[in-house]
Amino acid sequence: MIKLTIDGKTIEVQEGTTVLEAAEQAGVYVPTLCHHPQLTPYGGCRMCMVEVEGSRTLQPSCTLPATDGMVVNTSSQKILDARKFVLTLIFSERNHFCMYCQVSGGDCELQNRAYDEGMTHWDLQPNWTPFEVDASHEFMVLDNNRCILCRRCVRACSELVGNHTLGFEERGANSLLVADYGVPFGESTCISCGTCVQICPTGAIIDRQSAYQGKETEVEHHIGVCTVCSVGCTKDVLTRDNRLVRIEGEWDSAFNHGLLCKKGRFHPLEDDRPRLLTPLVRKDGSLKAATWDEALNTIASGLGKGKELVALASTHLPAEDLALFKSIFADDLKASLVTTLEEGAATASLAALADKLGKSFESGLDALKDTEAVLSLELDLVDEHEVAGFFVKRQLQNGTKLFVADSKANQLAEKAKTILPLKAGDEGAFLISLLDAVEKGSLDPALNETAEALKTAEKPCIVYGKDFAVNADEKALILLLTLAEKLNAALIGVKGNSNSMAAAQLGLEAPFKPNGATSAFIALGDEEPTQKMVKALEEIPFVVAQAAYSSQITGNADVVLPVTIWAEQSGTYLSLDGRLQKAVKSINPPEGVLTTQEALLKVAEALSISPDTDWKASLMARVPTVEIREA
Amino acid sequence: MSLLDIDERILQVVELVDLRATPITDLKEPDEDGVTVGILEGGINNTYNEEVAIRMRERCKILVALGDCAVFGGVPAMRNFCGAEAALQRAYVDTESTDSEGRIPSSPELAEMTHVRAVHEVVPVDLHIPGCPPDADVIFYALTELAQGRIPDIKGENLHWH
Repeated sequence: MIKLTIDGKTIEVQEGTTVLEAAEQAGVYVPTLCHHPQLTPYGGCRMCMVEVEGSRTLQPSCTLPATDGMVVNTSSQKILDARKFVLTLIFSERNHFCMYCQVSGGDCELQNRAYDEGMTHWDLQPNWTPFEVDASHEFMVLDNNRCILCRRCVRACSELVGNHTLGFEERGANSLLVADYGVPFGESTCISCGTCVQICPTGAIIDRQSAYQGKETEVEHHIGVCTVCSVGCTKDVLTRDNRLVRIEGEWDSAFNHGLLCKKGRFHPLEDDRPRLLTPLVRKDGSLKAATWDEALNTIASGLGKGKELVALASTHLPAEDLALFKSIFADDLKASLVTTLEEGAATASLAALADKLGKSFESGLDALKDTEAVLSLELDLVDEHEVAGFFVKRQLQNGTKLFVADSKANQLAEKAKTILPLKAGDEGAFLISLLDAVEKGSLDPALNETAEALKTAEKPCIVYGKDFAVNADEKALILLLTLAEKLNAALIGVKGNSNSMAAAQLGLEAPFKPNGATSAFIALGDEEPTQKMVKALEEIPFVVAQAAYSSQITGNADVVLPVTIWAEQSGTYLSLDGRLQKAVKSINPPEGVLTTQEALLKVAEALSISPDTDWKASLMARVPTVEIREA
Repeated sequence: MSLLDIDERILQVVELVDLRATPITDLKEPDEDGVTVGILEGGINNTYNEEVAIRMRERCKILVALGDCAVFGGVPAMRNFCGAEAALQRAYVDTESTDSEGRIPSSPELAEMTHVRAVHEVVPVDLHIPGCPPDADVIFYALTELAQGRIPDIKGENLHWH
């Protein structure tokens, strides 16, 4: 432990603590600009200067390690003058005229720092050199005129996301924030995760969707789990007057630490599918607007039971809704098939193995954040489950070795140390040769290298995707477990949608076949159906669709019930690694639109069914592939 | 004009001061033998603004820059990024709503355009009150403090640049 004094307060801190962190622990506020808790200290802006007794000059506290006996002063006149001077230099360097800026009025860290220091004006004349604005990107605008050269975005792009798109060209006052080697931002290698826009302290990178839609002082925050995929990131949905303004990653989340991907951050606000706002009932061949009672009566008289009925639900629905769905259609109506739109593809084989073994065998995603070697099996973490991909990509620069085995084109392979050929259906043979290579070495240099790296790593990770889960037979899966045991490796199955694992726990995983049924009930939520589902349902004479958006399925249906979208409902989601998390309602639904839960309960009532509502017990009834825990 | 945002409180201010000159009173310029407080709105955009600023500085014991234009240069300062000529061309000739007769005004009576500056870049300023416009409450606070012989401290809730 190290003992030091900051502004007269004596505290003890761990070795390796910076003076800034020590000040925070002592409850002393030191203003910062280029510093960000998720990034490595940089010492670029000089905002956090402190006076250290015995030191000739002021020191940046963010990069200064605390040492024993240090006496630090954070608020002498010399420091206050230095802060004002630093701010004056920054303001005078480029176009920092607040009255022209989107983030002025609470959202700009530069302006807030100036207010804190009581600056009524700047003493230096501004530099009037204009820089070009790059508005080529679909979601963001890059404006070098507002840039204070703190490099937070550049550091986030490499340190947090591992994408290395943003960088600087030129030097000093001419420094320009650029994408790749100076190509338009929209044509660069940017993957639109938006971490840069979220971390920018000024208006140098702004978000097109939310610009001028509401400042921090005008918006409400709703923090909950992202319901796009099974990774289960925590996100903050910003709303104003019942309107979605912006989605941000939650910096304080112990899991994703502020990161999101484009599918979680930008795509949900781009949805322009036509919304369903009233129940519809087919009369004389065409769908007509109806009341809820009319629609429910039509369902009560038209929906079959047992063999006549099949039921499908979206794996984007909350666990409560999936459990209720199962209770109504499997337990009460005894439908011939109750499954999900994913048909259990990403989970069924693995869940069956857990049943057989009577134990869980997969690990938490945290294992992926700090590992020396990763083997990816039939999974493209650049294309899907992107945030889990960030965890891998950002470690590669620190020496983590990535091995990709896939039967298809794979974008993650570009980053891999070695690519291993794998033929779909040959997973078992592949795992046998890898196991052999681990045990005895192999003549194949690629396999040998992979085996060596996995053996040397303290806690290697093996991640696998939906294709692997579909293609691998039980024998191959057992080989995978043997390999993991031998290597002390963490197994991580990424599954599919946000509640694929909950569906698996409820046993909603059968492949969909119409089975000659005469009626179908499909709870789509806000999911867009696939062509395969549209075709399959065309065979069935009476179809009830619960959906938020108009689609081919609702167009062909006989009864349509309008339900809420992700932002209009709360519920529980089970991530790919068993974290049970809450999604939070952020806006009110349109008049007359019910949540899937409310609509299902109305359907149950119309059919005189009293369903089981103990969703948690149903969820826990099966041995999970990975331990389920509240997060 | 934001001075009028203080509404009826202007009567309280008038009671405290001897208002010598404003652009809308008969007397447009401060007394030659000087006044205690002078308030200047607007940035320094041309040679006439320079003259006014210099005269105000000479005749006022305390010179106040009120509003973002006076404090920073404000919106007119955007023309510094392209230069006066390009700004005039855009405003009088190239603007979509201008007919084919568009021309840049030129008269010997017009003051000469300069680089746009904050007041303190031309003459020393004793108090800056930023804001676009400054809040009525901030203006009222500043005026009543000045009228009672104190220099107001613009900080915390009273400090806004936008």
